[in-house]
Amino acid sequence: MLKCFSRALYAAGRLTSKTAPISSTCRGLEQLRPALIAPCPPAVWPFTRTIWMLCSSGSTAGPRQGLLGSTRGTPHLSCGCGGLHTEGDKAFAEFLSDEIKEERKIQKHKSLPKMSGGWELELNGTEAKIVRHVGGEKISVSFNINNSIPPSFDEEETQDSQKNPDNEPEIVSTPNFVVEVTKQATNQSLVFDCHFPEDEVGHGEEEEESDIFTIREVSFQPTGESDWKETSYTLTTDSLDWALYDHLMDFLADRGVDNTFADELVELSTALEHQEYIKFLEELNRFVKCN
Amino acid sequence: MSIALRNLQRVVPLRRARLRKDVETLRQIMGIQKFDLGFICVDDQRIKHINKKYRHMSIPTDVLSFPFYEDLKAGDLPNATHQDECNLGDIFLGVEFIYRQCQVQTEDFYETLTVVAAHGICHLLGYRHRTEQEWKQMFQKESQVLEEYNRCTGLKLQPLTKNHFS
Repeated sequence: MLKCFSRALYAAGRLTSKTAPISSTCRGLEQLRPALIAPCPPAVWPFTRTIWMLCSSGSTAGPRQGLLGSTRGTPHLSCGCGGLHTEGDKAFAEFLSDEIKEERKIQKHKSLPKMSGGWELELNGTEAKIVRHVGGEKISVSFNINNSIPPSFDEEETQDSQKNPDNEPEIVSTPNFVVEVTKQATNQSLVFDCHFPEDEVGHGEEEEESDIFTIREVSFQPTGESDWKETSYTLTTDSLDWALYDHLMDFLADRGVDNTFADELVELSTALEHQEYIKFLEELNRFVKCN
Repeated sequence: MSIALRNLQRVVPLRRARLRKDVETLRQIMGIQKFDLGFICVDDQRIKHINKKYRHMSIPTDVLSFPFYEDLKAGDLPNATHQDECNLGDIFLGVEFIYRQCQVQTEDFYETLTVVAAHGICHLLGYRHRTEQEWKQMFQKESQVLEEYNRCTGLKLQPLTKNHFS
């Protein structure tokens, strides 16, 4: 009954650039070989590709000649980068340029939104960590924007958005996040593995009955260690006493991790995800164009 | 059986453990521990939407009850034979509305939530207040429950239906 929006990724039609078959150049090269040298199997010939090799239609008749014909999108080599530059690549680069322009147009935040409550942001690629200090405690929340956009399961809505692009659902990034609470006097942190239930993401007509975010697991971990100890007892909340669960939620709320925080985290994550998506498209464009 | 508590709003900071404890006390007083109960805390916007959808009243309110047993006679407990049937239903608490009212009337928020929750549970048990007779019956039940609650806690809570019926 609950709705969830997802990114409608327009699949960029990647054109596979097939390398010219080595065997198609064999006949011409064979003609240059001294008669005493036995012809090598085509696959191991140590020749590098040349414009002549790629563009030559060769003297061979039959289907192979057609594969290299100019009517079949002859690849162009123009920059000496050692990569192919096909008509497909050109179309791909044009598509990417348009896509980047469109994405920039709809980008809500030119710079990342700030979290209220004195949280400081640290970024490492797709990973984000926000940290605040409250009364001798350090609270850090980390998340990764990769795979943070829930898949669409509302086909009707997706179809509507395809018919009318103005109705396109908003893309929202709802990453799992980890809250670490560290007390100064101890060398261990209390770690909460939290997530956004998928059914809360949408804003449909139905009554949504999931919490904004939920705690999935709780454990103690050594402070400052990136790898968690598998031997630490991990409390899973699936079968937990609800009263204990509520106390854990109140514990987080007292440290600034509440529903308002969760909303702001979604906003930050969505902006970061979009920023990284545009960066990826730009890098892809440069890679395809080779400049 | 258990109480499912959900907080879907961001407007009012809510102590979940406190609310659960208070509601759990009510449940014991009313002798309905074997039944599941759902409490969903929502803001004005959402309770107004639900109020409009189910009661055609486009205004925020304090509480809306959705009984699992719709034809239950007031005062009777459901005769649940299977575990799936041990469910009384869901109560939507308009916590933003209630909080605002508490500010105006300088009343304690959690005490008021308890009064509203007792009212909501009575509705799940078949009590209504559409006629004077129904209202009297419901008022009597709420009074009885809250008197016992007051005895346990030392508070002086009054029924929600004290001054009105509709």
